[in-house]
Amino acid sequence: MSTKTHSSDVERSIVDRIRASPFLTELLSNRIAVAGLSLIIGLFAVAIYARLVYDLDAIIATSFGSNPTEAAPSAQFWFGTDGQARDIFPRVLYGAWYALKFGTATVLASTALGITAGIVAAYYGDLTDNVIMRTMDVLLSFPSLLLALALVTIFPESLGLWRAVAALTLVYTPRFARVVRGAALKVLEDEYIEATRALGATDPRLLIRHVLPNCLAPITVQSTLNYGLAIIDIAALSFLGFGANPGDPSWGMMLANGVEKGLFSGAWWWSFFPGLFLALTVLGFNLLGDGMRDALDPRMRDAVD
Amino acid sequence: MVSKRFIAKRLLLLGPVLFGVATVVFAILHLSPGDPAIAIAGERASQEFVEQVRSDLGLTDPLWEQYVRFIRDTATLDFGESYQVRRGTAVGDILADRLPITIELAVLGQIAGLLFGLPLGILSAVKKDTLTDHFSRVGALTGISVPIYWSGPLLILLFAQVLGILPTSGRIGSTYFIDSKTGFILIDTLLAGNLAAFQSAALHLVMPVIVLGVYSMAFISRMMRSSMLEVIRQDYMRTARAKGQGAKTTVMKHGLRNAFIPVITIIGIQFGSMLGGSVLTETVFEINGIGTLLVSAINKSDYPVVQATVLVFAFMYTIVNLLVDITYSVLDPRIDQ
Repeated sequence: MSTKTHSSDVERSIVDRIRASPFLTELLSNRIAVAGLSLIIGLFAVAIYARLVYDLDAIIATSFGSNPTEAAPSAQFWFGTDGQARDIFPRVLYGAWYALKFGTATVLASTALGITAGIVAAYYGDLTDNVIMRTMDVLLSFPSLLLALALVTIFPESLGLWRAVAALTLVYTPRFARVVRGAALKVLEDEYIEATRALGATDPRLLIRHVLPNCLAPITVQSTLNYGLAIIDIAALSFLGFGANPGDPSWGMMLANGVEKGLFSGAWWWSFFPGLFLALTVLGFNLLGDGMRDALDPRMRDAVD
Repeated sequence: MVSKRFIAKRLLLLGPVLFGVATVVFAILHLSPGDPAIAIAGERASQEFVEQVRSDLGLTDPLWEQYVRFIRDTATLDFGESYQVRRGTAVGDILADRLPITIELAVLGQIAGLLFGLPLGILSAVKKDTLTDHFSRVGALTGISVPIYWSGPLLILLFAQVLGILPTSGRIGSTYFIDSKTGFILIDTLLAGNLAAFQSAALHLVMPVIVLGVYSMAFISRMMRSSMLEVIRQDYMRTARAKGQGAKTTVMKHGLRNAFIPVITIIGIQFGSMLGGSVLTETVFEINGIGTLLVSAINKSDYPVVQATVLVFAFMYTIVNLLVDITYSVLDPRIDQ
């Protein structure tokens, strides 16, 4: 009973803290963050629209006969057609769905793994902490895209883009683990943790109900910053040939085909539009992440005067 | 004063980190589904021959024996022979040919990033919240958002195909034959005293260095901006102004020196994305560095080349960060405490 009262107190205090925090107001008054947020909302709209309206099989199938090959943008084909006579416009829009789907999967998976590793390391300390964090340090000693390239080879080719997701998840996990461990160590010093423990809360309950909710702010920022990175890295792996299957409406794959086969023979639209959408998407996340950091960093706020 | 203890501590840590890195590479290659014996023997080889190759490679030995051998070979920089990319050539020799190419590209990209990033960051900080500031901040963010494999081809299209003022790909015009002494093409052409070749090599480097440099420029200008904003608020800056020193001199003399220190750490961390970026840049501009080497080795299941290349990339990254930490401790002795 008493544990229950206590935890609802804690929850109320979190809600109060979020309400009282200038973070959201600060964020929404930051023009850069708002610009990023608008881009991302636009992207989500495009992705959902494409997912609902277009049929994936029809977009992947070649359309020789019905469409001209490598036709320049026109009233009929807004973004032109590619070497397989496919209309590029719906493919680029569907690419937004792909980017979000696989980007979200990567960020969610690495966040979850990072939270687990970080909280466990912070809570158990000593040997557990050392083993987990030194492993993370080693993973951080590789340049990220190169570690992803090496890891991609572990997973069977049939997984397609999920291969890239799996490899990048392992690459990003250490960053989350570090952030979460740092935040959790601070939370664990708080007195209510000691109180909860004294009341007989089990380890999992303590960590999930009390420590985790108090680490959410830094986790959110890290996730946002990593979102854009995940999307650009998945596309990079596809571009290098380790991700999407040929024909998939993924921006990285379209870019690879367009650059290799179309760009220098004059079919610039083949790679131009997927690249443009990819760049705008990543820009959106970078603008939002930058704005978040500004809003969270009180030193920067004071520096305004 | 340089803290010897700090440097010794960092050097001691280097061993375990490199050991861990080698272990991860060993694990990755042993988890890969591909079979190196088949990669060497060929798809159509008889079962017996494949088995023969497998035992020659030592792949039938217990795992721990293979691991010990791998660590020992790595420690003595013996990376074995290439299976496919250049069959039978020592991987060390292939790397010796290719490594300078990537280093040249990454270092020039980093220098370009510093040359443009530092002034941009200072300007942004001094003119905080003006149009100049917004413009340079959004410009920097755009710079890191544009993928190299998009901006690179577009630059080629514009400068090489349409305007015809820069070469499309490669490192030097096909009419030049330059002895590779250092492996760095700008230095080799100068050593050969061939100015026309030097010019050709330099022109070939312009676009790759731009696409790579934009990345580091964006990171450096962002860090420089926030670091400079921090420094501008310090008391000694006000004192300098109060004694009658001009705003420009104060920023350049007192501000820059102090604001630069945190930027150095970013250069180290960001060198990793320079190395990753060099893989993409080399692919786009068809430059034969270790980036393209890694991609083709993975495609051809050339395991010794893959493992050596990944190890070298991780090694370079670790060393650069070590140097950065040491520089940092020299510039700011407080780091020791």
